[in-house]
Amino acid sequence: MSSQWDVAVIGAGHNGLTAATYLAKRGRSVVLLERRDRVGGVAASEEFSPGYRTAGVVHETATLRPWAVEELGLSQQGLVKRAEASPILIPTETGPGYVHWRDSDRAADEISQHSSVDAERYREFRSFVARLSPVLRKVFDEPLADLEALDMSDLWDLGRKAVALRLLGKGDMMELFRIVPMCVGDWLREWFEAEIVSTALAAPALAHGMVGPWSPGTNLNLLLHEALFYEEISGGPAALVSALEKAAVAAGVEIRTEAEVTAIDFEGDGVSGVVLSDGERIGARQVAASCDPKALFLELIPAHYLAAEFEREIALFRTRGIAAKIDLALSGYPVFSCRPDVQLSRVRTGTNLNHVERSFDAVKYRQMSDEPTLDLFVPTVDNPDLAPSGHHVVSILVQWVPYELEGGWNEGQKNELLERTLATLDRYASGIRDLTVGHRVLSPVDLESAYGVSGGHLLHGEHAADQLLTRPVGGCTGYTTPFQGLYLCGSGSHPGGGMTCAPGAFAARKILRDRN
Amino acid sequence: MPIPTPFHSRTSRLCTSMQWKEWAGYYSVCSYGTSHDPEYFAIRHAAGLIDVSPLFKYEVRGPDAASFLSRVTVKDVRKLKMGRVTYLCWCDDHGKVVDDGTVSRLGDEHFRVTAAEPSLSWFDRLRRGYDVEIEDSSARIGVLALQGPTSRDILAQLTDAELGEIKFFATRRCRLAGVDAWISRTGYTGDLGYEIWVDAAGAETVYDALIEEGRAYGIMPAGLDALDTSRIEASFIMNGVDYYSAHHCLIEDRKSSPYELGLGWTVQLDREPFVGHAALKRELETGSRRRFVGLDIDWEEVESLFDRYGLPPELPTSAWRDSRPIYDSSGDWIGQASSGVWSPTLKKNFALGQVPREHSQPGEKLLFEVTAEYRRHKVSATVVETPFFNPERKRS
Repeated sequence: MSSQWDVAVIGAGHNGLTAATYLAKRGRSVVLLERRDRVGGVAASEEFSPGYRTAGVVHETATLRPWAVEELGLSQQGLVKRAEASPILIPTETGPGYVHWRDSDRAADEISQHSSVDAERYREFRSFVARLSPVLRKVFDEPLADLEALDMSDLWDLGRKAVALRLLGKGDMMELFRIVPMCVGDWLREWFEAEIVSTALAAPALAHGMVGPWSPGTNLNLLLHEALFYEEISGGPAALVSALEKAAVAAGVEIRTEAEVTAIDFEGDGVSGVVLSDGERIGARQVAASCDPKALFLELIPAHYLAAEFEREIALFRTRGIAAKIDLALSGYPVFSCRPDVQLSRVRTGTNLNHVERSFDAVKYRQMSDEPTLDLFVPTVDNPDLAPSGHHVVSILVQWVPYELEGGWNEGQKNELLERTLATLDRYASGIRDLTVGHRVLSPVDLESAYGVSGGHLLHGEHAADQLLTRPVGGCTGYTTPFQGLYLCGSGSHPGGGMTCAPGAFAARKILRDRN
Repeated sequence: MPIPTPFHSRTSRLCTSMQWKEWAGYYSVCSYGTSHDPEYFAIRHAAGLIDVSPLFKYEVRGPDAASFLSRVTVKDVRKLKMGRVTYLCWCDDHGKVVDDGTVSRLGDEHFRVTAAEPSLSWFDRLRRGYDVEIEDSSARIGVLALQGPTSRDILAQLTDAELGEIKFFATRRCRLAGVDAWISRTGYTGDLGYEIWVDAAGAETVYDALIEEGRAYGIMPAGLDALDTSRIEASFIMNGVDYYSAHHCLIEDRKSSPYELGLGWTVQLDREPFVGHAALKRELETGSRRRFVGLDIDWEEVESLFDRYGLPPELPTSAWRDSRPIYDSSGDWIGQASSGVWSPTLKKNFALGQVPREHSQPGEKLLFEVTAEYRRHKVSATVVETPFFNPERKRS
């Protein structure tokens, strides 16, 4: 088959858009194929209730890599960064609550209300994390060396990483070795006496994970979050998508929505394109898949094309969705009794690590938490256009909620989840039920069918040491696959999920190199 | 501890020698009498009745059964016609043999696979995406091998099946002594013969009827020793003896590809990928390291060797399966014979083994190790065509 395109990219999430744009900017003809009616994947804005729109399923944008913004020219496409990380309200039922600031100067007052010692410790904590950041960035903000086929450039790369590690000095280096495998709770309790501070800091390490604060290895996730935290985007994930889409179009990418890829086309030992659900065949010399690895290998490729060992490794890649998404349309900003006058865009529940652990416990037994842990994003604080005047949109990631709920998911279970979520919120912001004029509940199973993410896992695969350092599995850690011309370019590849643009960019570099 | 097969109540009464061994977890008779020779000669001249129930058996059912087996094995099983049986092997990703066995098509969507080793977990691992059910029917079904020139005549007394229609490697469902059974024109002896597949409940009825009707045709219950002699004469390889399943090998060199085992003819490469496809394709292009060969060990040399010590030539009383080294003509080690036997029919000393490709041509003169009076010696052995014994009646 003569190839119509140099590259076909599967999935127009932020990584698919990123890869396509990089490739098109380097002169490749690129078609970007999206199953849904819009680009953006889990970062896309959607109307979930008449007149109310989200700013994406996910919330965090500070993970976006500044170099990608620069290289893609996203500022020219309207991307605006926030001057300062959003403060996060951790509401309490009684007492003053806690507003978590990233910056130690801004944080001092808030932390002092809970512990005067901790305010100073927080400054030291920030400084320690800042010292570790260069090493963590060397590993997680650069493509991995190809350990399976080491050449001189890989050895050079490993050498640079080793040097960065040694430059930490003996003390910090040994401390890094000590703390990486720790439970996030243990480490944070070493630093802080105020439980609410530890709990606030631990939350990102537990996001989307089949883990609680007392699970070993969770500290790695905290360190990565802290080291790879850059600047937030004004307008949330949807604003990133909008800039990426403009950049893609400007670079000449042909974007086709409602174009669902149902199979990879093979010719000889390599790929020759893709097949769409209506039978249309699209020829391409290279195919880059930004869908998750399980969806690619287990759904788009017939089983007999896979080596038995490889198929097993992919099947074992863990994608156990444990978060649900609830969107609320509110007639006003909810009043949190601890801070009745504060209207922040970010709110998280959880004031005590043990409570959070108990919230996590349920999911191990295929139950949803009695009292879920909630991560709220209120995009209307900064972008009132998403709702009618004076009204608000509250986007909630609800943990822990199993994909494999005992008895399966149905409307009754989703109502129960909504009820438990509202009951939890009601303890901090009574009256929230009266403000609610619309809602949408997406269980992990709904997330899987709506966004095509295996297991409903929004990161395309759990973040754990074993799934980060050889992501997704040996044999395709460098964006390549066992099939010539087929690449991975999504969150299931190094350095992992979240709004980073990194897998898309790194994959594009590899694709360009292979065809040069 | 081994368990009895569905025929145990009958075989245990007949096994006067008390010579048993364990086969795949079952009690199996080595030889019913003190010597297995009469049982062997029954197979070659009349009929031997062998309880082969310990074979591992799997029923693969479902709309995707044929394509599933085409992925698992080296053959395009989709082309196997209803009522036909095929012999094949299956490999790991690296094209090394995991096991060998037969696949019978018992229905549009029903196949029976036989294996030398437990295979359910391997099959199950490869099942994702295929609409198939796999049943381990090993214990549910009793199997008898009725092998030898009079086997057809015996069966004709007992079944409504048109035996003329059950050609070589065919299978039919029928009534046999009033019991529902499958008869297949297959076996492990290289002779005219059948295998009979019955539910355990009907096993004893079928056994009794065969012994009763077979008496006039010289039937004898035959044990594994007689079977082993027959299978080496027929040059059939055996998992765990002539090769080792890739799943159990600790070192690469122990593994064997189908081409190295003489099973290259079962491999169908010109089709969609299957497990081991890419590796086998590469091997076919670059050439295999080894070949499976038959050796004819020079009897006169063996005789004169023992004569040097004033001894008559010594031979094991039955087939041997402890590996013995093979050397090239200059005496360098090149491979090993994995089993062998004195062929009572052909009066020759045969062995089966693996040697490098360049030493595998028929006529090649090699050396084989023989121990005489505690000392190791080398005697001449010639690579010969296999099967050693291949009577016309096998396919008739």
